[in-house]
Amino acid sequence: MTAVTLEIRNVTKRFGDGETEVTAVRNVSLAVEPGEIVLIMGPSGSGKTTLLSMMGALLRPSEGEVGLDGLTISALSEGKLPDIRLREFGFIFQDFNLLSALTALENVAIVAELAGLKGRAARDKATALLTDLGLGERLDFLPEKLSGGEKQRVAIARALINDPTLILADEPTANLDSKIGHEIMRLLRRIAKEQGRSVVIVSHDERIRDIADRVLWLEDGAFKDMVTMATDPVCGMGVERERAVREDRDGVAYYFCSNGCRAEFLTTDGHGAQRWLHAATALISRRPTIIGGRRGGEW
Amino acid sequence: MIRLATRNLRQGGARLALSVGGVALALTLIFALDAIFTGSEQRLTAYIDRSGADVWVSQSGVRNLHMAASALPSGAVEAIQEVAGVATATPILYLTNRVEIGDQRNLAYIIGLPADARAGRPWQVAAGTDLPGPGEAVIDRVIADQGGVGLGDPVAILGLRLSVAGLSEGTVTITNSIAYIALEDFAALRGGDSVSFVLVTVEPGASPEDVVAAIEAKVPGVTAQTRQAFAARERRVVRDMATDILAIMNAAGFLIGLAVMALSIYTATLSRRAEYGVLKALGARSRYLYGTVVIQALLGTAAAFGLGLAVTLGLSAVVPRLVLGLDLVVGLESLIKVAALSAGIAGLSAILPILQIAGLDPAIVFKKGATA
Repeated sequence: MTAVTLEIRNVTKRFGDGETEVTAVRNVSLAVEPGEIVLIMGPSGSGKTTLLSMMGALLRPSEGEVGLDGLTISALSEGKLPDIRLREFGFIFQDFNLLSALTALENVAIVAELAGLKGRAARDKATALLTDLGLGERLDFLPEKLSGGEKQRVAIARALINDPTLILADEPTANLDSKIGHEIMRLLRRIAKEQGRSVVIVSHDERIRDIADRVLWLEDGAFKDMVTMATDPVCGMGVERERAVREDRDGVAYYFCSNGCRAEFLTTDGHGAQRWLHAATALISRRPTIIGGRRGGEW
Repeated sequence: MIRLATRNLRQGGARLALSVGGVALALTLIFALDAIFTGSEQRLTAYIDRSGADVWVSQSGVRNLHMAASALPSGAVEAIQEVAGVATATPILYLTNRVEIGDQRNLAYIIGLPADARAGRPWQVAAGTDLPGPGEAVIDRVIADQGGVGLGDPVAILGLRLSVAGLSEGTVTITNSIAYIALEDFAALRGGDSVSFVLVTVEPGASPEDVVAAIEAKVPGVTAQTRQAFAARERRVVRDMATDILAIMNAAGFLIGLAVMALSIYTATLSRRAEYGVLKALGARSRYLYGTVVIQALLGTAAAFGLGLAVTLGLSAVVPRLVLGLDLVVGLESLIKVAALSAGIAGLSAILPILQIAGLDPAIVFKKGATA
């Protein structure tokens, strides 16, 4: 049986009542495994943020349950939730949400202190974390003196300082340029894979699909098509299996970004089947895979 | 908690300066008023404190000098003199009247002193005598300077034309001064042989309290009090008269300070609403957030308290040089009172921001454009 970090079961969230009642999330279920990166996409108003808020114990579901490491957090009293949020979740926001009066170091250390770590130990841990994230020279900078990418790395350090089980990221690349956005997502992926932390990302950003192990589409408060990523064996591009051009050879499914890549693949017939065998085998799994020494989906 | 509170305050520099300045002004109002009254009280009882008498004897039931009349029969002086432990007994006449110098009229306590007065004389003399003879007066030097008179010049007291024979120091307040004339001049105007008070010095080793008890036991129709008790009574009378004014001004100062600090802390919290939401979302407990707000209010008010005290101390150094007879004395009682009022301002001003934070939805973190 596979271990599950986060499990939401038949969760529904309604706001208002009577004629003004709005169902933001309806009967959604999801299980996130340790070290898995799940990307939730969907149009504005689809319920992504509401779902993320319920996952992060910031909002109670109207129906259904939210469980974290076997604990049903949606059933906990209000008094216990701050501690759960503090120790079990790491939050990353679109607007970074750093405290403007505190330095980068203090923004991270304060969260450790809230969890009970004493001042010096909290600062040491925050320093180590920020240095590891390349901010060793920016420890004493106020947020206003940091670039967008630096702010987001401080936010990531803050999210990690209490060794959370699950990282919840809301549009983490929305206020970053493409290059920095890629860097941040690579960083998140490294953290997830090296430290075995689960990551749930809510985003509109098509560019970050490749780093996800799973992409979910939320619309009108419910998951629509479950999208599974694969890598085009010819060009190496990340593609959604459900929307990709598919070719079955010898009982193995291959996914291509376009008919051009498929055609090129077919011209290598005989040799090609062997040449791409390894990749094709891997593509059956839901995760981006290693192709020719390169890890598919990794930037 | 403290670090966040101090950083928040420091970052809002202009707001902090304005609120601290506003509250300091309000606290200065309370401090200064208290200081003026304390200074006035001390000046007011200066004659009692420095009369040299250990015991004051008055008509039965009369327990203070200000706005009171006392009449003792002349025989009381001899009777008091006979009481064990009494070294000297000096009768004085007392009335509140005016010292007239030309067209200038100055309210004054008029003291009639006998020729052999052993107590009740001016305690410091700038020029001339400290004991006026018939037809003479000792007036305060400041009053003499203001009126442009000196030794030998004429003044009018109780309708008598008297010659200035001495100039006393430290006998003027913002409202009145003390003038000394001969007992016989005073008695001649007043008629009869009664006296107002008898100032008693006790024999070496005798206890003023014991002498007080002995006088009240042996001499009928008198009230005796130690100098300290008489002065305390005098201060209480003056304070009672000023209580309403003080209470109103204190309340005004408190309310102004409260309004300024409450507005300041409220707007400061409002401007950081999103940040408090972030902290709430990250797992900060409510008491941490409330504590941060209260510390901000306390630090701001403490700074205002310090500034208000500094301004008042500055005033107490400058004002007496500009306004003669007006002393500002910051007493311990006033310090404690203003500190308590400041704590009240800090506590009350934090209530609204705390309510604001209590109602804050931590999911605000997902609203766009909230913070840094």
